[in-house]
Amino acid sequence: MKKLKYMVTAVVSVFLLSAGIHSELRAENKGQVNKGEQIYNTRCMVCHGKKGDGEGPAGVLKKEEAGGRVLEIRPRDFTLGLYRFRTTATGCLPTDEDLTTTIYNGIPRSFMPPLKEMHFDDKVAVMEYIKTFSSRFKDDPPCNPIAIKKPNWVGSEASVNKGKVIYKDMKCWECHGDTGKGDGSKSNEIKDDWGFQILPFNFQTGELKKGSSPENIYMTFTSGLDGTGMPSYEDTLKEDDRWHLVSYTLKLMGKLDKGKKVH
Amino acid sequence: MNETDQTGLSKFAGNVKGLANTFIGSVFRNGKPTSDKTRASAVFNNFFLHIQGVKTHINTLRPSYTLGLGLITFFLLVIVVASGVFLMVYYNPSVENAYQSVKNINQVVFAGKVSRNVHKWAGEGMIVFLFLHMARVFFTGSYKAGREFNWVVGIVLLVLTFALNLSGYLLPWDQLSYWALVIVANIMQSPKELTDSLGLTKYFDVGTYTGNLFLGGSIPTKESLNRVYLFHVMVLPMVIYVVVGLHFWRIRKDGGMTKPDLFNTKASDMGIMVQPKKSGGIFPTHKTYGLMELARGKTPAVDKDVENTVMSWPNLLIAELAVLMFTLAGTLIYSYYMDAPLKEFANPLIPENPAKAPWYFLGLQELLSYSAFMGGTGLPGLALLGLALIPYLDREQDNVGVWFTSKMGKRIALESMVISIIVIIAMLAFAVNFGWLRNWFPEIPQLVITFVNPGTIWVGFMMLWSLCTIRRTGSTRMGAMALFVMFLVSYLILTYFATDMRGPNWDFYWSKSQWPIH
Amino acid sequence: MYSRFYLSVLLISGLLVLAYLGFTAYDSFMPEWMSYQFEYRDYLTKNAKDDAAKKLARALPLEFTQVYLGEMNKVDRCTNCHMGVENPLMENTRLPYKKHSGNYLVNHPVDKFGCTVCHEGQGSATNTKEAHGKGHDTHWDTPILPLAYVQSSCAQCHDTNMLSKSGGDKVAKGEALFMEKGCKGCHKLKGVGGDLGKPLDKVGRQPIAYFTMKHIVGEHTVFNWLKQHFDDPRAIAPDSAMKVKLGEGEADLLTTYMLTLRPDEKPKSYRRINFNEPPVQNGETLYKSYCSACHGDGKKSLYDEVFKRTVPAIMNPSLLKVMDDTNLDKILKEGRTGTQMTAWKKTAAGLTDEQIKEIVTYMAANRPADRPEPFRLAEFKGDLSHGKEVYDLRCAVCHGTNGKGGEDMLGVSLRSKVVQKMIDPEVLAITVRDGRADTPMPAFGSDPFGMSKQDIADVVAYIKDFQSGGGK
Repeated sequence: MKKLKYMVTAVVSVFLLSAGIHSELRAENKGQVNKGEQIYNTRCMVCHGKKGDGEGPAGVLKKEEAGGRVLEIRPRDFTLGLYRFRTTATGCLPTDEDLTTTIYNGIPRSFMPPLKEMHFDDKVAVMEYIKTFSSRFKDDPPCNPIAIKKPNWVGSEASVNKGKVIYKDMKCWECHGDTGKGDGSKSNEIKDDWGFQILPFNFQTGELKKGSSPENIYMTFTSGLDGTGMPSYEDTLKEDDRWHLVSYTLKLMGKLDKGKKVH
Repeated sequence: MNETDQTGLSKFAGNVKGLANTFIGSVFRNGKPTSDKTRASAVFNNFFLHIQGVKTHINTLRPSYTLGLGLITFFLLVIVVASGVFLMVYYNPSVENAYQSVKNINQVVFAGKVSRNVHKWAGEGMIVFLFLHMARVFFTGSYKAGREFNWVVGIVLLVLTFALNLSGYLLPWDQLSYWALVIVANIMQSPKELTDSLGLTKYFDVGTYTGNLFLGGSIPTKESLNRVYLFHVMVLPMVIYVVVGLHFWRIRKDGGMTKPDLFNTKASDMGIMVQPKKSGGIFPTHKTYGLMELARGKTPAVDKDVENTVMSWPNLLIAELAVLMFTLAGTLIYSYYMDAPLKEFANPLIPENPAKAPWYFLGLQELLSYSAFMGGTGLPGLALLGLALIPYLDREQDNVGVWFTSKMGKRIALESMVISIIVIIAMLAFAVNFGWLRNWFPEIPQLVITFVNPGTIWVGFMMLWSLCTIRRTGSTRMGAMALFVMFLVSYLILTYFATDMRGPNWDFYWSKSQWPIH
Repeated sequence: MYSRFYLSVLLISGLLVLAYLGFTAYDSFMPEWMSYQFEYRDYLTKNAKDDAAKKLARALPLEFTQVYLGEMNKVDRCTNCHMGVENPLMENTRLPYKKHSGNYLVNHPVDKFGCTVCHEGQGSATNTKEAHGKGHDTHWDTPILPLAYVQSSCAQCHDTNMLSKSGGDKVAKGEALFMEKGCKGCHKLKGVGGDLGKPLDKVGRQPIAYFTMKHIVGEHTVFNWLKQHFDDPRAIAPDSAMKVKLGEGEADLLTTYMLTLRPDEKPKSYRRINFNEPPVQNGETLYKSYCSACHGDGKKSLYDEVFKRTVPAIMNPSLLKVMDDTNLDKILKEGRTGTQMTAWKKTAAGLTDEQIKEIVTYMAANRPADRPEPFRLAEFKGDLSHGKEVYDLRCAVCHGTNGKGGEDMLGVSLRSKVVQKMIDPEVLAITVRDGRADTPMPAFGSDPFGMSKQDIADVVAYIKDFQSGGGK
């Protein structure tokens, strides 16, 4: 009898406790979103717009590359829930970590500044607020991040040469050009999911927006850049081949020449 | 009348007929030599040949003894003079026209290009063979007492040869000449470093003075070209003719070529063509020579082993002719395939990078990069002085005429060579990898670097090593040997190092092919 | 034994000497050009129309010829191989004895002009390699000009007006392109132009060693350098900040024009330059020559990856609305220190006051008629500490916390002399309030920012305080 009583108490207390935690969590979430909105309005709204539709007061940003191409940089429209810089499979939502990473590092060459000095909780708050712009975060199931293990031969000469063949076979040059200058034959015909013309990346201009480590480049091939012309090669290329392509990309970016003596 | 006419005419006809013979007979006072007497008079009655002895010791004819090096050097000089006169006809020593006149020699003058090549390569060949000759003389001990002064004369010839080559290098007035001129002017100005660091420049600016003496100003101009040309075609050649004459004369007066005391090869073993016959010889046994009694002291020695001498005519003359022809052939073939360099017209605004002195001064330029004074004045001066003093400091008379003196000599030479190669390469590697005092202590006074740099340390090491050798072996000859070997090795290595491994900005590269393109 | 040794050395060396003397003599008697002269004579004999012509052709002397141009101190020996340049019979033959194309030689006879005066190369040389001056080992700074650039030589004696009409169109087009593309915005020519790039005087005749040839594909020549540098400046000089946007074939035209810029002057008797009125430079052409390379049409601001800063929209109506002519004139004359903007006054980049005035007038043509609503800044007292709060919240993200703008920043520098000294604070306040249309600068006075007038006054006070050392 006594045993039963204990059990009931235990069950009830566990239930009560969990309910309490749950509500507390929700409250915290709500509070976070409010805090996130506040930060968003001071720091992000000028470009991404009050409604998160990418049409902030600053408008479209223009940038002239060294080669003379003029890029039109449109701040991300959060309402569609389409994100380029993910560690999940194509079509998936980004993980929370993907979003905070972008907020933390910024995006090179696009005026999205790194917010390294910002408190971690604030970033999480902004991230939570940004997620409220799209219903996908409520409706779609979350995806698991793709695991990466970099082989140690990446960047070797043999790998670069294999990558060069794949670059040719997979017609990367149609957009990115034979020497990776982003001047391929189809480079002027690409439009993003919003219907604006976009230009393929010129490997010689600088850092990749996603980051230029071999892992980042590999992830670009694997996850694709959703919303742009860059597809995912997770199904069409073997893992090793994608790494070979990483080697060749590094070569085109000039990251493999560093060791040589430059006068 | 008629008869006399006829005799007159026939006399005349006879004279015409015999013209060739009488003419030759008037030139060569002897007929074709048939006996040793006439062979002897063929030599001493001829202006050009009488510099040689009537008889020659068979050791002199041994190719492995002299290697013909001195003679090759002399014949190269003859070739240089001949081709030089030819070039002088077309060359125009003015800043405006010098370059184009050299181009014209290359482009339109008949055989001009080959002549210029011959002049250039024979001139530089003189340096190479002069060093080889010097080494031969040194290693066979031929500078020893009795011949000391001729060794000094040889050193003077070395300096003159350098000067002649250098002054010729500057005449085409192309980029190569111009910037070599600048470098050489820096070498000439090098005493300035010492006076600067001693604070004496204000009172006694000897560096600027020597530099100006050479350039006729502070930068290369038409003045520089004028005086360099004057030196190249007049002053230096005249001096070198006299000094060469002196050198040859002293060979005779100092007793001819050296030979080993224990020379026991017989002429017959050596296949010498004409054997001196006792009966018809010039030293008949039944005669004495009163003249010899008049002479005292260091007279030309009539050698003890007279039986080992042969007539110079034709033995020596054939050998000399062969060497002449060999030299000529070598020069001509080399010049036929290798063109003397000629770069762009001199442009004071565009320095050659690296600006290099002619190759024979590159060793100095390497030392110059450590310290201007030491590389330009101190060490070369010391080296020349040291070379000149060798015969006065080493007066041992053992085994003169034997290559490397003795077994120990061979060992010492080899030892010194190995040691010097190791030490000098280690020194260069150290300087290239770690820099020198200035890199570690930027504030250090220049005077310290002037006296403590790889060049001076190397010379100090050479001297110490030589003294150690003297102490160890108890022989000054061994010490001199060690010093001389180390001098040759360092000249060779430094020259090679500075030619091939010093690229733009005097930076180190493993080879010329690695130099960055500009 | 020794005698035999010496005799054999003598014999072998003697034979070698004879052989090589023979080779040398043969080379001198039969130089390369001689064989071309033989071919030329054979061709003429074979194609002679009648016996008289045949006889004449057979009697053609084979000899060394040269054209000496005393006034230019030049010797051209090209006609030793190119024998048929003036012979109409050689119209359809092959080089080297082919007739010169076109009728250029009618007015430029070889015996008066030679060849290298137009074609470059080493006129005095007597073999193909050296005469054409190709390859590093010829050590010749002016190798033979490719036909694409050969018109550049015409400009030595002829003026652009004449060239544009008859046979020198590439030079004329190149010069027009040079003015239009705004090259002088960065490069000085005859003392006028910006100082971001190297002065271009004499550039066409600089020695090869003057150029960095490391990345040049093909032969290391000045024209190859120029062409490839126009195609992609950073491929040739990695640190170059040069901006070029050229269409098809325009690089060739500009290269041709560059090659006309040379220090030497031909003797008077050769020159046919008519000193016409210099082309009229109005505000528009001046703007193109000196401003357009960086500012384009001046309507939109743009971040420039090479300059590493935002290039402002200087002809944007909303800028002109607040900026009067005096301000513009001042900025043009003094430039913006710390940025790529050159000071254009006479003593710096070399524009006269009148020319600057022309440019200002041209720019001001875009100014809207209505004046901005006055802000009356004087009525507010700026609060520096509140100003800093507002600045950090609203401005810092684009202009940087220190106000310097610069790399990867959308905003311009607020610390420059122009903002700090030349411009009225009232203008700043109006700009903050109304923003600047067609640039990322939003209007902070309205939604969604809704800064109050006091906020704006505080921020302007804070920005103006930079010059006295504030906001570090």
